[in-house]
Amino acid sequence: MNESIDSQKNFNYLFGLINLAVVFCIVWLLWYVFLHPNAVMKLYTPMYGFSLIVALLTVIVLMNNVAGYYPFAESAPEGMGLFARGIILTVVSILLMLVLIYGFFWGFIGKFGIAYFSPKSIIASGGIGAEMFVARENASTAIVYFCTAFLWLAIFWRVGFNRWPWQNAARGVLAWSRLFAILFFVSIAYAVLFHPHVCSLFYPAQLKAGVEPWWAEFAGTGSAFFNLGLVLCTLFWIIASDMLWEGYPWKLMEKDGEGTLLKGVVAFFVTLVLGMILLFVLLKVMNIFWDEAFMGGQYTDGPDFRYIHAGEIGGFFILAAFILKNYFNNFPNFGGIWSRAIIRTAITVIGGMLIYLFYFSPATAFFLGKVYGFAQPGDTPLVWTILFLCVIMVQCDFFEGWPLRRTVGVETGAEEIPGEIARNTA
Amino acid sequence: MKRRTFLKSLAATGIAASAAGTMPKLVEARKKVDIGEIKSVKVDVLTETSWFDNDNLKKHMVDYGGAMTNQYTIPWDWDNAGGYAALLTVTTLEGKERKFLLDSGWNNEWMDYIWEMNNIPAMLKSGEIEFMVLSHFHLDHYWGIESTLKHKPDITLYAPKTHYPEDMQLLKGAHLTAKNKEGKDVHICKNDHPHTGKLVLTNPDGDTGDGIYRLMPGVATRMFDVPILLRVRGENVLYFNVKDKGIVTVTGCCHPGVLSLFSYARKNFKGYKPYGCYGGLHITLFETWDPKFDDIIKGVKAFKIKKLGCNHCTGWIWAEKAAAAGVPVVKGTNKYKTYKKQSSVATASNAFLTNGDSVVF
Repeated sequence: MNESIDSQKNFNYLFGLINLAVVFCIVWLLWYVFLHPNAVMKLYTPMYGFSLIVALLTVIVLMNNVAGYYPFAESAPEGMGLFARGIILTVVSILLMLVLIYGFFWGFIGKFGIAYFSPKSIIASGGIGAEMFVARENASTAIVYFCTAFLWLAIFWRVGFNRWPWQNAARGVLAWSRLFAILFFVSIAYAVLFHPHVCSLFYPAQLKAGVEPWWAEFAGTGSAFFNLGLVLCTLFWIIASDMLWEGYPWKLMEKDGEGTLLKGVVAFFVTLVLGMILLFVLLKVMNIFWDEAFMGGQYTDGPDFRYIHAGEIGGFFILAAFILKNYFNNFPNFGGIWSRAIIRTAITVIGGMLIYLFYFSPATAFFLGKVYGFAQPGDTPLVWTILFLCVIMVQCDFFEGWPLRRTVGVETGAEEIPGEIARNTA
Repeated sequence: MKRRTFLKSLAATGIAASAAGTMPKLVEARKKVDIGEIKSVKVDVLTETSWFDNDNLKKHMVDYGGAMTNQYTIPWDWDNAGGYAALLTVTTLEGKERKFLLDSGWNNEWMDYIWEMNNIPAMLKSGEIEFMVLSHFHLDHYWGIESTLKHKPDITLYAPKTHYPEDMQLLKGAHLTAKNKEGKDVHICKNDHPHTGKLVLTNPDGDTGDGIYRLMPGVATRMFDVPILLRVRGENVLYFNVKDKGIVTVTGCCHPGVLSLFSYARKNFKGYKPYGCYGGLHITLFETWDPKFDDIIKGVKAFKIKKLGCNHCTGWIWAEKAAAAGVPVVKGTNKYKTYKKQSSVATASNAFLTNGDSVVF
């Protein structure tokens, strides 16, 4: 999520469109090779593939938002091409993703701590359904939830607190401190929002380890899709305020260009409330098309589906925001900040709905190998959306927009995070 | 706090909620359909054991691409295959018995064994079985079609319109294989008796645009166009309106969800009254759990279903948990133990209506 690094007036929108088309094709190719259920590796089982993709996004966000590329240089050093830097960072991110899934979750936490993070530990514990298919899907579900909590708080942290309270620390100190602080809150968020659901994925439910889903009565479902939907809707506002609103209104609470405690706290709660409102509005819109959901309903009648579907729509909005920001130079760039923000948000919502129409059109039976229709259990557009986001972020962050943005510079970035840039270029 | 209260409290935040509340309702009030009435319907469980070893089936799924993969590309273990089929006997208001089949199973040897055991071949040949409704094109409901067609190739067949080329290939007569990891072709299904009868391809519009196909007075099928695992799409669901009792649903797998079927009936059928259901209910088919399965138990109670007969993809653990929670689950017998093969997940609770059992609504 770096700021654009070329001058706005020289931006070539046609080139941006071509770049987007190329990215779409790359996503299609990656989907075909890794995830397409009837092609090569068929990893979209669905949760296993979901966990791999969300772990990749987690690592990209970790490297960018949390670590600020530490221990690498923040942007390509002189003498090193953007392409070479991009390749190195991409390879590192893939390796870290593999370490995160197979090393950290399956091999360490799942082996020595919480069994449900490792398929092998689930199988070893015995009982009903303890075989590879279900065990891997359940472990993957837990990983997806953990990564979701991480993505929410890591992206929020950058928008809210950013470098506070380590603004005067060295890059390494900042990176590690921010990581541990985020992980502390992630652990709490995961334990409260998702752990009870994962504990209920087994029969009998693991009620000594996790409480019964506490949201079941008012949400109309015991599924943590309720929380997932809320988190994703909240995440949209975090990203919208960062990208489309250029950091406003939170920027008004900065001190000397740095984040503050007040800025972080206000941004957290306001985006959470906005997320609730978006969730509520989307649920109402779904009622118009599918009638009211009811407890025990399945497919489009299921409250669990309605919640995750709201999150999926939030995901489409996020994807649209990334596309507008990175391939259309965050159009428009004239007028006052609030008029720009409103127009961009409107474009993003329309763009998100166009992506929605594409994803749920018969075309995706061809492109993605999905079965036409809504609400197939386990099938979620989030996987394709996140893969798309990963590719965009790899190009725009790791490759610094190459080849669309060919000029290396720090003007806009310096405006946003002067301290980091200054340290990096020193 | 109730869900509605919670949502209202969200609305109380005051932003955007009012706009959402004024949105026009696109879900229109539909004209209710009268499907007629029957005196009763009896369901004979011919076979509900689509496979015998859950882990074996799941291993093939995980080894060849998971739940989203095309079922025709997986070299399933033939010896693990069974099938799902039921015989429906409707007693009309006039007291006449009329029979038809729901589905035709999977493994031909197993289905031939089941058919002989229940005198199905004779009933097919004599025309006593009038037609067959294919619930959906899943392997365990459809790939055993030969066992039916060899006795009556011209049987009238109701099947979802949302078929794939391989489905029609099998119906017209074919031997299909899938490659295993070693690249060898493995037999997965066959049909040497092409279908020559009437094929009614069902869609959600129904036969006269009112969403259903009338099979006989008091009996209808509706096609729910839903995406289903293993690249299948659409399921036919049977509705019976039993005089003085209410609506009974009979399903192959019930992918759309049992309560969604009742919700559909509530919105669309004249004089709707919930009564019972039979079939695979597609809940804990892999004998695992999810909080939303608890939701279904609560929902079934809320819908006031009086008689719930289940098996197949319902999952034993759901049936047992539902029964324990007070859902009126119709218990089965031990007759299945006299069959040459049994499911590895069957338990002494008899929470399933299983092979050889029957239920009358």
